[in-house]
Amino acid sequence: MSNAARARLTGAMQRLATGDKRALEEVYRLTNVKLFGICLRILGDRKEAEDALQDVYLNLWRRADRFDPERASPISWLATFARNRAVDRLRTGKVRAGSVPVEAAAELPDAAPLADDLLIDAERAERVHGCLDTLDENTSDAIRAAFFGGHTYAELAEAQEVPLGTMKSWIRRGLAKLKTCLEKGE
Amino acid sequence: MTERDQFAAEYALGLLEGEELLVARARAAREPDFADAVAFWEAKLAPLLDDIGGAAPSPALWQRIEAAIEDAPASGEIVDLRQRLRFWRFASFGAAAAAVAAFALVLIQPLPSAPGPQTAEAPMVANIPIGDTDLRLAVTYLPDRREMLVSASGLTADGVHDHELWLVPDEGELRSLGVVRPGEEVRMPLDPGLAALIHNGSQMVLTREPIGGKPPAAAAGPVVAEGTFATI
Repeated sequence: MSNAARARLTGAMQRLATGDKRALEEVYRLTNVKLFGICLRILGDRKEAEDALQDVYLNLWRRADRFDPERASPISWLATFARNRAVDRLRTGKVRAGSVPVEAAAELPDAAPLADDLLIDAERAERVHGCLDTLDENTSDAIRAAFFGGHTYAELAEAQEVPLGTMKSWIRRGLAKLKTCLEKGE
Repeated sequence: MTERDQFAAEYALGLLEGEELLVARARAAREPDFADAVAFWEAKLAPLLDDIGGAAPSPALWQRIEAAIEDAPASGEIVDLRQRLRFWRFASFGAAAAAVAAFALVLIQPLPSAPGPQTAEAPMVANIPIGDTDLRLAVTYLPDRREMLVSASGLTADGVHDHELWLVPDEGELRSLGVVRPGEEVRMPLDPGLAALIHNGSQMVLTREPIGGKPPAAAAGPVVAEGTFATI
């Protein structure tokens, strides 16, 4: 995000903890397009994604103290929170499992690009992409499908037609390599 | 990579389901080192979310959210309850799924001492939401066995308090159903007098007490949550 937008969002997140309703509206205004894009991507259905998004902001309202500004940037935290809530919906069976097919989930999304001031961190995005590209293709595809599609080991194994144990060992090896690569960038 | 880092990465990516997911959620709530490892992966992967394009939700969504928060107490107003309940941290899915799993366990592993009428009376369940958290204390009662199951999976103790569960009979004083054991599923037989008081619609309350539960001479502590039995 641009520094000005980031500062406005940080301020609004802090005011939220005092029960300021206008602060929630400001957080919503600054972030709903990005967070809805994330929910829609994971859930593949507008209605489900809207329910997930509502759940995100209501949770934020009730538990504003969950956000710790010393640990994460607000937009990074909110984007992660929205993704996790959307994935939770897949797991609780509220949504038909595998709404977004595994193959589609691995591809890079092509929805409307976001303005610069909504980006989490372009530089670090480049690094994590660079690290994923060092993995073999099956593994990086599987990790991307898990991240962008909310797919489980079992779904990934089925989609790539390999035994569950094979998929687990691909991904576990990939994650170990990814961690080493990501830590180099710190 | 350590086992902990690997499991944290799998959890952060969302690869887990079923039992493993429950274990991961419980560890994230209880083990600070595990929670830190999850946060590492979340922070490192978060920039990937920039690849997802934006999309506008329906313009009516903000009104829906605004209407919903009218019904919900503001963060500031419930801060006291939240402080009292800070140590209860768990997601509803975990508690609910654990309750179902534990319930299944009851059905397939009868206590040897259980008296044996074979005709099943419908079980009763109560989900007791804890404050404004996602946590549920799951209570299941099997009338034909006079057994109760209290599932507090994923809950963590604060080391200072215990919580005691009480039945609110239609008449008379509260009857203790025991101290909740955080992180455990507890099965217990009920004595017939107590069991006779439980019916569809019976109320329960959860109170905060000193370690070990309410001292005999003292009044019960503050009520922090309540719930109702419903036949399923």
